[in-house]
Amino acid sequence: MSDPKKSEVLQGTLDLMILKTLHALGPQHGFGIARRIEQISRDVLQLNEGTVYTSLTRLLQQKWIAAEWGTSDNNRKAKFYSITASGEKQLTLETENWQRISDVVGRVLRLKEEK
Amino acid sequence: MPYTWKSQLRAFADRLAGLFRSSKHDDFDEEVQSHFQMLVDHFVAQGMSLQDAAAAARRQFGNTTLLRENRKELRSLVSIEDFARDFRYALRSLGRSRAFAAVAIATLALGIGASTAIFSVIDNVLLEPFPYKDAKRMVFPRIHDVSRGEEGDRQGYTSNEFLEFAAQNQVFDGLTGALEDLVLYKHGDGVDLLYGADVTPGTFEFFGMPALHGRVLQSADYEPGAPPVFVLRYKTWIERFNGDKGLLNKTFLFNGTARTLVGIMPPRFGWYDADVFIPQKPVASAATVGLPVQWFLLGRLRPGISKTQAAADLTVIANHLANISPRDYPAHFQMSLNPLGDTVVGHFESTLYTILAAVALLLLIGCANVANLMLARATSREQEFALRAALGAGSARLVRLLLVESLVLAIGGAALGLFVAWGGLKLIVAAMPQNFIPAESVIELNAPVLIFSLIVAILTAMLFGLAPALQAARRDLNHPIRESGKGLVGGRRSGRMRDTFVVIEVAVSLTLLIGAGLLMRSFVALREVRLGIQADHVFQTQLVLPDGRYKTSAQVSGFFEPLLTRVKALPGVVDAAESSSLPPDGAVDSTMEISGKARDGEWHTLLQQVSEGYFRVLAIPLQQGRTFTQAEVSAARKVAVVNEKFVSTYFRGADPVGQRVKLSVLETFGDPVRDPWFDIIGVVPDIANQGLQGMVSPEVWVPYTVTGSGAQALLVRTQQTPMSLMNEVRRAVSATDPDVPLAFPIALEERIGQRLYAGPRFAFVLMAIFGCLGLILVTIGVYSVLAYATTRKTHEIGIRMALGADRANVLRLVVKTGLRLVTAGIAIGLLASLLLGRVVQSELSRGVKPYDPTTLAVTTILLIATGALACWIPARRATRVDPMVALRYE
Repeated sequence: MSDPKKSEVLQGTLDLMILKTLHALGPQHGFGIARRIEQISRDVLQLNEGTVYTSLTRLLQQKWIAAEWGTSDNNRKAKFYSITASGEKQLTLETENWQRISDVVGRVLRLKEEK
Repeated sequence: MPYTWKSQLRAFADRLAGLFRSSKHDDFDEEVQSHFQMLVDHFVAQGMSLQDAAAAARRQFGNTTLLRENRKELRSLVSIEDFARDFRYALRSLGRSRAFAAVAIATLALGIGASTAIFSVIDNVLLEPFPYKDAKRMVFPRIHDVSRGEEGDRQGYTSNEFLEFAAQNQVFDGLTGALEDLVLYKHGDGVDLLYGADVTPGTFEFFGMPALHGRVLQSADYEPGAPPVFVLRYKTWIERFNGDKGLLNKTFLFNGTARTLVGIMPPRFGWYDADVFIPQKPVASAATVGLPVQWFLLGRLRPGISKTQAAADLTVIANHLANISPRDYPAHFQMSLNPLGDTVVGHFESTLYTILAAVALLLLIGCANVANLMLARATSREQEFALRAALGAGSARLVRLLLVESLVLAIGGAALGLFVAWGGLKLIVAAMPQNFIPAESVIELNAPVLIFSLIVAILTAMLFGLAPALQAARRDLNHPIRESGKGLVGGRRSGRMRDTFVVIEVAVSLTLLIGAGLLMRSFVALREVRLGIQADHVFQTQLVLPDGRYKTSAQVSGFFEPLLTRVKALPGVVDAAESSSLPPDGAVDSTMEISGKARDGEWHTLLQQVSEGYFRVLAIPLQQGRTFTQAEVSAARKVAVVNEKFVSTYFRGADPVGQRVKLSVLETFGDPVRDPWFDIIGVVPDIANQGLQGMVSPEVWVPYTVTGSGAQALLVRTQQTPMSLMNEVRRAVSATDPDVPLAFPIALEERIGQRLYAGPRFAFVLMAIFGCLGLILVTIGVYSVLAYATTRKTHEIGIRMALGADRANVLRLVVKTGLRLVTAGIAIGLLASLLLGRVVQSELSRGVKPYDPTTLAVTTILLIATGALACWIPARRATRVDPMVALRYE
């Protein structure tokens, strides 16, 4: 890892972040999602924006999100994604999971070396 | 975010849908374009020039081609292009190692071909033998006596019963009856016997087959006063009448009636195995006079009606009939229904399935062999795989590549296998016992069979391809680099897998050999079974007497007495006798009583009517008392000879001579015997009377002169080959009555062979062939694994020899490695055979146990010897290694 500040985004993590974004902001197009993740992560996460679409494809396959064509703020045609009921369920489930895991990992990493 | 199996399934469903999705309707590019534009707008808003903004957007967005590929891969199964590429690659790579491909394809062809051939037999004989409309729903009813086994079942019905079942049942959408009708066909050159069937109205509509030439029987043919007609079977038309179309509408003299030939059936119409079909309407009669008419019934179940439901419905009707004539029904009975196929195939079914199992084992051995070859090949391709992996091929990609290679091999094997199957099928059909398969079935390679072999090919590809493929995909990238030195260890993991395959192969092969060995023992045992008669040098024929002139016992003995005198006088004839049935079958079943003995339940015995020479002709010794004298036979005295089984069953070994027995069935004969009490005058040993394999039943012999009824047969003991006397016997018969033909003349020994050994011989010959093929494959398998391992070990052997190991040492080392595998395989194989013994048990004749020690020992030794040979050749080669060369070997 050449730049320790910029982590590569784990595949599944990106899926989770997109779900959360759609949950928080309502329907968004891919560009909007990318901007949002960029802002939130304060540029820590290095993201090829195209990767967002791979995640979106996966989420669509699971029917956790739905897609519809619409018009963006500056009048460009764009596809808008929104979270579905089963997506909400999945989000709750995964958030809990994530919290639990990161708690455990955090605790382990904070352990003082015992001699 | 982890994806569970459920979500994997959802994704898979979407991928599957991708097969039907047109890529043209995908708006992905549009979406990407829109995103890209927004990015450019975004950067321009930050103050970049349009050109810089576009470059920045491209950088930020990433590689669109890769994205599109990813998306495609996510949303589709293996793409056609990928598959085509893998396929081309597999062909190229197999083309480079032709020897490997040839051995693999030949091995698979053998396995797939053999199983295809056997499956076509099963498909055509067991699964789809009948060309009739809805043949699967055709069943024949039997009256099953609850207190007895299946041999007590009745499947012949009177006209009354037929009419009652036809009118009352709620379960058939068609019911037809057939009645054996021996036809004496008189023509210019004499008399011939045709096997005829009287068929009820609607029979041909029931089967739904039109005639090939002319027409089938119509309802008008059954009207009173209609001109007598008949329909001819194809096979008989070809064999007896040379396929002459001019015979249509010609008149034939059948049993004294002039009948017109109105139709010839297509080749596959073989109902009742009859030569000619004659219309006859069953007519209700108030009282049964004489022998009851015995219709064989065949019904077609209504769709949705199960056999159990139908049997229950028929039982109700039969109970009603039993109330009217209780004498014709057992005390406790129920109706049972058997599928049409049971009329012929019977025991042969399990034989065929046993052989199919054997073929599957052979295929398994073949797969193990090819898997081993692939493993060995994979080891030598490690560098190639490492390079591919290093260049970015995922393990799934490598597995797919290798599986496509396997598939190419399997399909090659299947293609070649079809030729093997085609040739094999010709041999099998030639070897197949004809009496055991339905006359209607035609054995050929057809569409279901081809689909079967295609499926087998794909399954085998999975079977032998998966292990090597997973093996190849699992290795880490450093491994081959370490391995490239051809070190001493030599690919532990793949080595172990190869060893496992050899062990499996040896085990399966032993199971196969033991099966073949047991069947051989069983076949030999069959030939040694004591029939209780001396079957060689006996000529036999049935004599069908024209009904009209032979009704009473006086008329019948008026034919046989002079005939027997004539035949006995022929040069080369030792003795001759008349009998109502031919060994090893024991005539009719009769209920009976013994005077002064209380019965518990019904007593049964077989009954046979014979002339005084019968016991001499078949060389049946006398145990006690005496047999009939010529005077007793001529005078139709009511005396009886019984077998040992009869004595042990009903007299518990006490002396039966002088006791009296009542044979009730004689009262019901066409020429009935009043008050049929017989004095027992002698006892003979047990003689096979329920077929060769059946247990001997109690049997009684009485003089044939007591009644004019019963099928008649002539037995002649000869000095020379029995068949050489046929023409002279024919002349003697003709001199006695020119209207009597010889029916089914044959040497007794030949008939026994045909009827009783043919099935077991077929099973044993096929099993022996498969066993040998299995053995050859195993030898190749053990040899190739050892040869490969030895080559890999050349370096090690060189060091050992340089350090002073002598040749014997090295030989022992290599042979020991190999024999360890063979021994392990044998242990497993023996265990499996003991467990599987029950399966083959039903195929074995009495006296041969599935754990027959001789068979186990012989096959084990055979396999060890073969294994040792396979070990010895590479071992010999190893001892010839020059230490110096081996050490430099690199």
